[in-house]
Amino acid sequence: MITINEITIVRDGREIIYDYSEQIPAGSITAIVGPNGCGKSTLLAAIAGDIAPIKGTITIDELHPILTSPAQLAQIRAVAIQNQSYTLGFTVKQIIEMAGPAEEVMRSLDLTSLADRVVTTLSGGEAQRVSIAAAIAQRTPVLLLDEPLAAQDVRSRKRIIEVLKKLAEDGVSVVVVAHSNESELTWADKVIKQFL
Amino acid sequence: MKKIAPAIALVIATFVAIYVGTAQIDSFWSALFAPGSNEILWQIRIPRVTAALIVGASLALAGLMAQGACNNALAEPSILGTTAGAALGTVIAVLTGLVQVGSMGAIACGALGALAATSLTFKLANLRSQLSSFALIIVGIAVSASITAVVGLLSAMVTRADARSISFWNFGSLALITRDNLVGISITAIVGGFIAWKISPSLDRLSLGDATAFHIGIDVPRVRLIALVALSLLAGGAVSTVGSIAFIGLAAPHIARFIYGPIHRNLIVHTAIIGALLVVVADTLSRSVAQPNELPIGLITSLLGAPVLIALVTVKNNVWKTQ
Repeated sequence: MITINEITIVRDGREIIYDYSEQIPAGSITAIVGPNGCGKSTLLAAIAGDIAPIKGTITIDELHPILTSPAQLAQIRAVAIQNQSYTLGFTVKQIIEMAGPAEEVMRSLDLTSLADRVVTTLSGGEAQRVSIAAAIAQRTPVLLLDEPLAAQDVRSRKRIIEVLKKLAEDGVSVVVVAHSNESELTWADKVIKQFL
Repeated sequence: MKKIAPAIALVIATFVAIYVGTAQIDSFWSALFAPGSNEILWQIRIPRVTAALIVGASLALAGLMAQGACNNALAEPSILGTTAGAALGTVIAVLTGLVQVGSMGAIACGALGALAATSLTFKLANLRSQLSSFALIIVGIAVSASITAVVGLLSAMVTRADARSISFWNFGSLALITRDNLVGISITAIVGGFIAWKISPSLDRLSLGDATAFHIGIDVPRVRLIALVALSLLAGGAVSTVGSIAFIGLAAPHIARFIYGPIHRNLIVHTAIIGALLVVVADTLSRSVAQPNELPIGLITSLLGAPVLIALVTVKNNVWKTQ
């Protein structure tokens, strides 16, 4: 369970989120939707422990991300950022293995054929799937994904949604930042449209 | 074969380096296996070639640490201000009479100067926002240039004999190496190399960017600080003993990545071998090309390293994405 309690977040002198509260249950998919610049990714980053609210608290199962060590935090939440870039020529499998066991998640996300490809040669969509796969490989109770479907074709979208549904069934709290209309988010258990 | 070629080349280059010199060594092979039998061989050539091996390995590993810690293909000790800082630390200590070139004290001062200058580069590059590669390189060049100018001014202000020795050393030279100097640089190489080996898996993860590295459990500032300490020990030890030798820290890690891939733990040994090979070859050339004159080794390593720098930003490759 993720509990957001009256948080206010300021970035570059601008108030992005003001006095906001929310509860995100375990074992569900929650989509955060809204227009560009409304603070969707900021909220995700705050849950991830990347940025601290100037007021209020966020807890993941009683733990405050901002006060938790990176190693411990990596055991309770995993994150796939929106534009993951790769500088060194690791293979897809090596990248995923940095986060956790690779075989199963590569199979489920259709990445097995790309296992030995060097990540610097991947397309945007492929790189995004590798980033999602690495986050899933971390096997944490909370999974945070920033626009995971943005650069995907129809087949890959379907595959990713299937995998996320399965994870939610297994008890994982999946939080997804999405650009879609609410009508397209039938696969989400909860839609946060506070920012619309 | 391609994978063991650098190690084989290093063995051959080491024997050639010991053999080649102004003075001809009689019965070379028997003298080589009889310690102390030939003064030139055992008092001059072998200490010098051993120093070249250690210094080359140290500078190469320092470059690997710099590139890994900054996640930047262009980072190397001389670009981050590390080399200049080591030079300044040592020059101040030598000119004030606190230590002698090559002594343990000089190495400590060099390492402290290296750490201070590298930290200054990071602090200044970090002032406005998150650490960016562009800011790091520009600030590093500026810090390096400023400190180099101070070193030059200090060298010019002292008595002629001191200035000559310091200037010569500042361009990089293995000519003044003695057997006693080997102890200090061996210690910094072993300690720095061990730290580098320990943090190498974290450097793999740092290559994913600070945010993703943090997400998978890496304490980014801590890893970066440890890498900078290793970098300062390795570069400080080498620079305070033989002076500034350019481009080894840049070229050796990239050559190693082209051959062995990006995994840092594998790269530790291979980068050290390639760095040692480059310095041994450069030193052999520097003392044999224009005999009886000896060329500054930095000129030879610049000729070897500059094409790597140019290739990095002009040739598209899958080893390190710079474009």
